[in-house]
Amino acid sequence: MSFLTPLFLSLSALAAPIIILYMLKLRRRETEVSSVMLWRMVLRDREANAPWQRLRRNILLLLQLLLLALLVVALARPFLPVPVVASGQITVLLDASASMNAADVQPSRFEEAKKIARGLANDLSDESLMTLILVSEQPGVIASASGDKRELIAAIDSAKPSVGIANWEAAFALAAGANGSVANSTTVLISDGGLPEKSPPLTGEVRYVPIGTESANLAVSALSIRPGPGGPQVFASVTNYGEAEAKTILTLNLDGELFNAQQLTVSPGKTSNVILTAYEGVVRAEAVLSPPAGVTTTDYLPADDRGFAVYNPPQSGRVLFLSNQGNRYIEQLLAAFPGIEPYRAPVDSPLPSDPFDLYVYDGAISSELPAKELLIFNPPPNALFNIDGEFAPALASAVTTAEDDPLLQFVDLSNVHILKAVDAQTPAWARALASIEGKPLIFYGTLERRRIVVFTFDLRDSDLPLQIAYPILMSNLIEWLTPSTVISADDIIHPGDSVTIRPAVGEQAVGIFAPDDQLFTAGVTNAGALFADTTQLGIYGVGTASAQEGGKFAGFFAVNLFSARESNIQPAATLTVGRAQVAASVRDQVGQRELWPFVAAAALAILLIEWWVYHRGSSLPAAPGWRGLFQRKKAGA
Amino acid sequence: MLFDESTLRKLDQLALVAGRVRAGQMKGERRSTKRGMSIEFADYRDYVRGDDLRRVDWNVYARLERPFIKLFEEEEDLAVHVIVDASRSMNWPPDSMSGDADSAKQRNKFQYAVHLAAALGHIALAAGDRLTVTAITGGGLPTTRFGPTRGRGGTARMLKFLGDLKPEGLTDLDGALRNYVIASHRAGLAFVITDLFSPAGYQSGLSALQSKGHEVGLIHVLAPEEVDPPLAGDLQLLDVETGDPQDVSVDGPLRDLYKRRVQSWRDEIEAHCLKRGAHYVPVTTDTKWDQIVLYQMRRMGIVK
Repeated sequence: MSFLTPLFLSLSALAAPIIILYMLKLRRRETEVSSVMLWRMVLRDREANAPWQRLRRNILLLLQLLLLALLVVALARPFLPVPVVASGQITVLLDASASMNAADVQPSRFEEAKKIARGLANDLSDESLMTLILVSEQPGVIASASGDKRELIAAIDSAKPSVGIANWEAAFALAAGANGSVANSTTVLISDGGLPEKSPPLTGEVRYVPIGTESANLAVSALSIRPGPGGPQVFASVTNYGEAEAKTILTLNLDGELFNAQQLTVSPGKTSNVILTAYEGVVRAEAVLSPPAGVTTTDYLPADDRGFAVYNPPQSGRVLFLSNQGNRYIEQLLAAFPGIEPYRAPVDSPLPSDPFDLYVYDGAISSELPAKELLIFNPPPNALFNIDGEFAPALASAVTTAEDDPLLQFVDLSNVHILKAVDAQTPAWARALASIEGKPLIFYGTLERRRIVVFTFDLRDSDLPLQIAYPILMSNLIEWLTPSTVISADDIIHPGDSVTIRPAVGEQAVGIFAPDDQLFTAGVTNAGALFADTTQLGIYGVGTASAQEGGKFAGFFAVNLFSARESNIQPAATLTVGRAQVAASVRDQVGQRELWPFVAAAALAILLIEWWVYHRGSSLPAAPGWRGLFQRKKAGA
Repeated sequence: MLFDESTLRKLDQLALVAGRVRAGQMKGERRSTKRGMSIEFADYRDYVRGDDLRRVDWNVYARLERPFIKLFEEEEDLAVHVIVDASRSMNWPPDSMSGDADSAKQRNKFQYAVHLAAALGHIALAAGDRLTVTAITGGGLPTTRFGPTRGRGGTARMLKFLGDLKPEGLTDLDGALRNYVIASHRAGLAFVITDLFSPAGYQSGLSALQSKGHEVGLIHVLAPEEVDPPLAGDLQLLDVETGDPQDVSVDGPLRDLYKRRVQSWRDEIEAHCLKRGAHYVPVTTDTKWDQIVLYQMRRMGIVK
């Protein structure tokens, strides 16, 4: 045992005044009694019966000296060296992903992980610093390079597991930042595995504390509703990640009503699929796994026993082609798209009151533009962007494209030739998809919440319509211009993913109801509203509000786990970090376990014992303790 | 005045009881061991020369033709001695103690002892007994004495005498009682009212009284503060009578020990008295004095 602050031991010199106080003769209070005869008999009796009673005062002195000794030792912070997993500059990555909710270790894997993290913090040596990173779908540093054990333990205690997929790449980036340039840093992963195949390397030493023992888990691994020949089709998958065959009941609720329930037997490692035809007008679906009666199926992770889906049926987009002379390339293409109803009108004809989903202009433009999506070919000067005459690019000039843009997926524009185009500048709200000689050919963007695509050339002045890229490009653009819902996100939304809500023009506010009925509101910017609080699994409702029409319901979206990495709760024996294999770590480092809380508790106990010894059995109010020692001698009577 | 009218009326109903009947000097209201002139028939005996012929039972002579003398019980008075300890230790708790002066006065041992003495004296006078009241104070000599007196007329004087007593000086109970015996009094019923705070002891004094032929009633008066002392901490106790100091550190166990010691002290005295055929009446002054006389002493057969 050693001391962290041995200087405090010098306080033991305080024993001297205590002893001196005891050596000074006790000043007694004078009190008259009718006779001392009985008192003398009593004192004679006591000395005859229990001589050790005379030592009582000395016992008090001993107790007080012991109390002082304990307090001095506690202040000097004694510690014991204990074997620990890591010491020095430690970065702890605490896995808080959905799989850590598994209950194969009681009460849960995450609580077990917190216990291990607390142990690491407790046994932190004096010069060690610890950084705590909570690895969930949005990893965060919950304690930064701290040696304060209380702060660290408070941070660990306040950590909560998520229901999302751990973002290890981001966590490793945070860990790399925390380790920084420290030479011998150690990263401790407290996890049940579930790292991606390829994870970036970490500087310094990497140690792995595996959590969890079992793998039995059934999961709803997919749920979706798609249009089918006889109506919307519900597709559900149940995967058994365990090592034994498992029976389960898959219950399917549509719009909150029980639609179907069936018992499934899933072989280990296999997936059972269920396809059902639902009714027209179905909106929400929920799949729930529950154990059949009388069958003991172990399923350690309840978070993935539910799946959610929302049906967004394809909508027919009404498109108005505004052109005076017509354009065969455009009209034929629009007529060929499924789900598109094209109409044609002269440019300056009065617009029908029922708005269309998309307005297409070719070579001319209305004096007053409708507040809806616009596709503009060969624009004349207008209010949306600047045009500076025309230009004719050289024949040899190549078209450059924004290759990473999803709108250019499968589109090859390298062989496109342009005879002439208008000399437009890409406005601030737009992005150029293709350009030539530094001047934009195609650009798109969102202006005042309407989507706009501009071709700066007449299709008849180029060979684009003759190329295979043309229908693909137009398909991508039309799909982007006429989305089926105001909610745009990936097909599967995982916890932590962001969802963009693009309300109609004029709607200023968006409200989102989480599955637990919590209401989130968001202001709407030019690009719509971005919602990222998708921390719960379930179906979220979206409403929009405008000053004119008030609030209205806008749609649903579903947040699902649907992750093999999280549902496969089999704890990993080794982790692959960078190129290294990391096995479960042993306690081969020396930590310091501080003992002062125990010493302080002992001091408190001694204090209570001393108090008890002094007042043993006495119920009198005016017992003069230390007070009596210094009390002025009471005069005469 | 020590008593009010109703208390006196109650005391009038009482009479002192002596266990062994004693020879008296004057005709009183008590049975005597002496056979003599009264109306209570006791026995016959043979006539001898010189007997008063008036006392021959002629009816028996007529039947048996032998003269018998009729013997009658003699009724006579009883000598009652009330000895009050008037040392300084009896003046406890003092008026200054424990705030409430009235309650302190009520619990004052000396006042209590005076009340008891007055009650016993009144009972004795009312019953036509011969009463002597003595206060023993400092120096071991009985300095003040009332009586002997007979008859109800003495009550007022006795009360005045008791009212004028002051508790003073040191007690040597043994010496005082021995001196009392030497001063040659008629044997009778002797009540000793004291706190027994007498380091020299009380046994030889009681023995001296008993050897003179007295029937002894020891009324042991203690204040509640002496049975359960309200003391704690490091104290220097000063004896109010002798002025002796005693250092003591009072804590819970010591207080318990003290209480046990007081009890065992009383038990010792009681055992001593029982062995010698003396009455022992332990009294704490928080009990009403008339309850002692009207109930407790009656229960013990000292009064009837």
